This record gives sequence, C-alpha cells and structure tokens, in this order.
Amino acid sequence: MCSCWVVLAFCCLGQLCAGQNLKPQIAAPQLATNNPTLTTVALEKPFCMFDSSLYPNKSYVIYLYAMKELASAISSLVTTTNSKPLNSTFQQTSGGKLGPYKAAMFNVPNCASPPKFTDVGDANKVSDVLKQYLFRVGDDGTCLYDPNFLAVCNPPLTPDTTYRFKYVLVDSTEGIMKDQTLWSDPIKTRRAKLPLKIDTWPGQRSGGMIVITSILSVLMFLLLAGLLASVSSAVMGSEASSAERKHMSQTIQQSELRPQLSSE
Amino acid sequence: MARSDDAIRILQGLLVFGNVVIGMCGIALTAECIFFVSNPHGLYPLLEATGNDDIYAAAWIGIFVGFALLALSILGIVAVIKSNRTLLLVYIILMLITYAFEMASCITAATQRDFLTPNLFLKQMLERYNKSEAVNNNDKRMTEGVTKTWDKLMLQNQCCGVQGPTDWQEYTSVFRTTHSDADYPWPRNCCVMNAQGSPINLDGCKLGVPGYYNSNGCYDAISGPMNTHAWGVAWFGFAILCWTFFVLLGTMFYWSRVEY
Repeated sequence: MCSCWVVLAFCCLGQLCAGQNLKPQIAAPQLATNNPTLTTVALEKPFCMFDSSLYPNKSYVIYLYAMKELASAISSLVTTTNSKPLNSTFQQTSGGKLGPYKAAMFNVPNCASPPKFTDVGDANKVSDVLKQYLFRVGDDGTCLYDPNFLAVCNPPLTPDTTYRFKYVLVDSTEGIMKDQTLWSDPIKTRRAKLPLKIDTWPGQRSGGMIVITSILSVLMFLLLAGLLASVSSAVMGSEASSAERKHMSQTIQQSELRPQLSSE
Repeated sequence: MARSDDAIRILQGLLVFGNVVIGMCGIALTAECIFFVSNPHGLYPLLEATGNDDIYAAAWIGIFVGFALLALSILGIVAVIKSNRTLLLVYIILMLITYAFEMASCITAATQRDFLTPNLFLKQMLERYNKSEAVNNNDKRMTEGVTKTWDKLMLQNQCCGVQGPTDWQEYTSVFRTTHSDADYPWPRNCCVMNAQGSPINLDGCKLGVPGYYNSNGCYDAISGPMNTHAWGVAWFGFAILCWTFFVLLGTMFYWSRVEY
C-alpha cells in the first residue's frame, strides 16, 4: 500500500506525467483483495494523470471506457471525428465486443489531497475512502433491465474475458476531449470451475484406520481360536473323564461282585 | 493342591477385576457416544447431506455396546465367583457377540473419518447452499439443513467457505445462480458483522478489504469436532476391546479348568 502511494507521489512531484504516457491501473491488491472478480474489475481512479492538461476556471469530467480486447481489431477509437467523446453504451457495443462503451462518468480526483489509506480501518470512513480511490466496473446489476435508467449504465462484465480500459478527460462546457490515457494492460475476469469436477475421493487410508482394523481382526481371530481350543479341550476332558468313570464303575461293580461271590 | 487353589483364587480375582473395569468402561462408552449422537456442534446436517454419516451409526452402536458391556460384566463377576460352568459359557458367547459389534463400530468410525475431506464439504456447499428449487421433500429438508448450518458456522466462527472466500469465486454454485457476483461475491455471512447482525461495511466486504470480510476457511471448525467424534469412538472402543480380549482369554482358560 505505502510503496504504491510513494510511486504515485513521485509521479506527481516529477510533473513528468502527461495522460498520454499513463494507463489505468487495477486497484491496489492489498486494499481490494477480491479483484478482479467474475464480473467486476476495480480500477484506481486517475490521480494526477491529467494535471498538466487541467486549466483553472474550467470544469472537467472524466469518462471511463471499457472494451473487450478482441474489439481492438475492429475499432478502439473513443472520439468522433470532431474530438467529441463517444457516447456508446453497453447494449450498443454488445458489452464491449464491437468497440469501447462508456462505463462511467465522474469528477476529476483531487491530486492535492488524495484519500488517506489509514482511514480504511474506520468503518465510518472506509466507504468514502473507497469511493474516492477506486471505481468498480460492473457494479450495477439492474440498470440494463430498468427502462427508467438514464445515467451511464455500468453492467456486469463477462467472466473469463480480457478487458481493456481507458480514461478520457473531457471539458464539460465544450464537450470536447482534452486528454486521454493509453489503453490499460489487458485485465482478465475470473473463470469459474464447475463443482461437478471436484474430486471427493479420500485418497490414501489413514494409518490409524489400518492399525485399528488389522489389530482388531487379529484379536477376534485369536479369541475364536481360544474358544475352539477350550471347548475341544473340555470335550476331550469330559470323554476322558467319562471313560475313566466307566472304567471306575466297572471296577467297583467287579469288586462288589467278588465279595458277593465270596460270601456265597 | 493348595498351590493350584491359590492359582485359581488369583485367576478369579483377576477376572473379577477385569470385569469391573469392563463395566466401568461400558458406562463411559455409553456416555461418550450419547454425547456425540446429541450433535453438540450442529454439524450433523452437513454429514447427512453428503450421505457419509456413518460415524453417527458407529456412535449409536457404541451406546448399546456400552450397556451390553455393563450387563455382561456383572454376569461375568457372578459367574466367576460362583464358578458355574454354564454361566461362564453364556458369558463367553455373549461377550464374543458384543465384541464383534464393538469391532464393527470402531472400524466404521475410523474408516468413515477418512472420507471427510475438504473437497467433500466444498462440493456439497457449492451444490446445496441456498438452493432454491428442491426435487422432493427430503431434498428440501437436507438443503435447508445445509444452508442453516453453514450460516451458523460462518457467523459463529468468523469464517467463509471451506478453504476461504475464494471458493465462492473459483467455482460456480447454486448460490451464484440466484445472487449476482457484483452484489454477492460471497454470502453476506462472510462479512464481518456488527452487533445487530448486519455487515459493518458492505462495500469493504464486496471488494475484499481486509478487516471487513472473513478471510479464513471453515474447514477447521468442521473437521475439529468430526475428528474428536470419530477418534473418540474408534480409539476408546479399541482400548476397551484390547482389555476385553485378555479378560475373555482368561475366562476361557478358567472355564476349561472348572470342574462340573
């Protein structure tokens, strides 16, 4: 944030800037982190870019033109033959496909007292700071469908498209273009992926799960083996003891018989 | 004879002690599983909508296994002290069945936990959050559950999306079809709210100015309780089963030595 501001301050001090050598810049990424989005682009307002062309006692207005990059092959002129700025709209140029359209009109930003970035922390002042510092192209979602809308319409842009922007300084009394910046570097809006493509396969099994499953299976097997062993040893034991008992009862019977026999 | 008598007494003492521990663990397992089933963090609707809610099934099994362990441990103590062969055999068979159920519960909890990846919740959030048309009543109920849960999650934990607010920008979603990107780059609950429940600055939130939107993802807030739930059921059950293994082996040995 601070370094960007230093560069701008440098530029103004140097008085080397004329509009023709400058381009519209995207808003500082430390301030506007969500930029560009699917359908909007936030641009820095042209601070100190037109100072050399401003005369005192005259009123000026800045126009912002936007066009899709492929339109530059067709026509990238923003003025008519007598230096008047083009009055094209979003619908007339099919959203910037056939040529630039006017997206905004605002006052010349104050070079002498730029917005203070330190005020961004204050919830009451941040709206003013943002309004002074940047302009959001594509902000208005309803003006296209509102038949009563008379101002400059700034409808949402198309996703996954490259756009270029230009600021034009216009004398509001004469309606003639006085200065313009270069076309900005190509700025591409975001592309959205389909949620169907998200892969929800969990991948590798976790170590804990493997430990639990394997150890419990082994323990279960050992328990069943132990049960079998004890049941079979009990059965064998009972056979042996029943054989013993039979043998013993036979011996007792025999021994009982012998005294009977001997008594007889 | 006196020596083997002593040995039998020692074995009896150990088995009684083992059964007491099993009984207490059974009570603890029941209590723990009731706690998890009661859904204290309100995350059940998310799992139900993904169809991956088997860690709750594992907790339900845990409740009943806990009761069974308590009852069987009492039976075991009685059987060991009376040295009754029939009772001991009944105890062993029933314990083995309970062992099998608890084993199922542990393995289910551990396995299902592996399915709960960030991508699973991301896909579900994008496909269900704020979905306006429902296919049937069940779909509608699940969609409402998912939407309410996410709204509450984002508000209470000051987070946005699964891995961050860029989830809403990188993917199309059902939310995007009803809310334009210019007005709602992400849901309103991703904005920092004031005490009345409205964003402190809407422009700051839409542009992503630090301090006016929640920049961290909600996955930690989801996976923390899920992990506690799954590992609690799985590892505690595993510990109980290891102890029960030794008690059962001892009981089988005792049973084979007891005279009718």
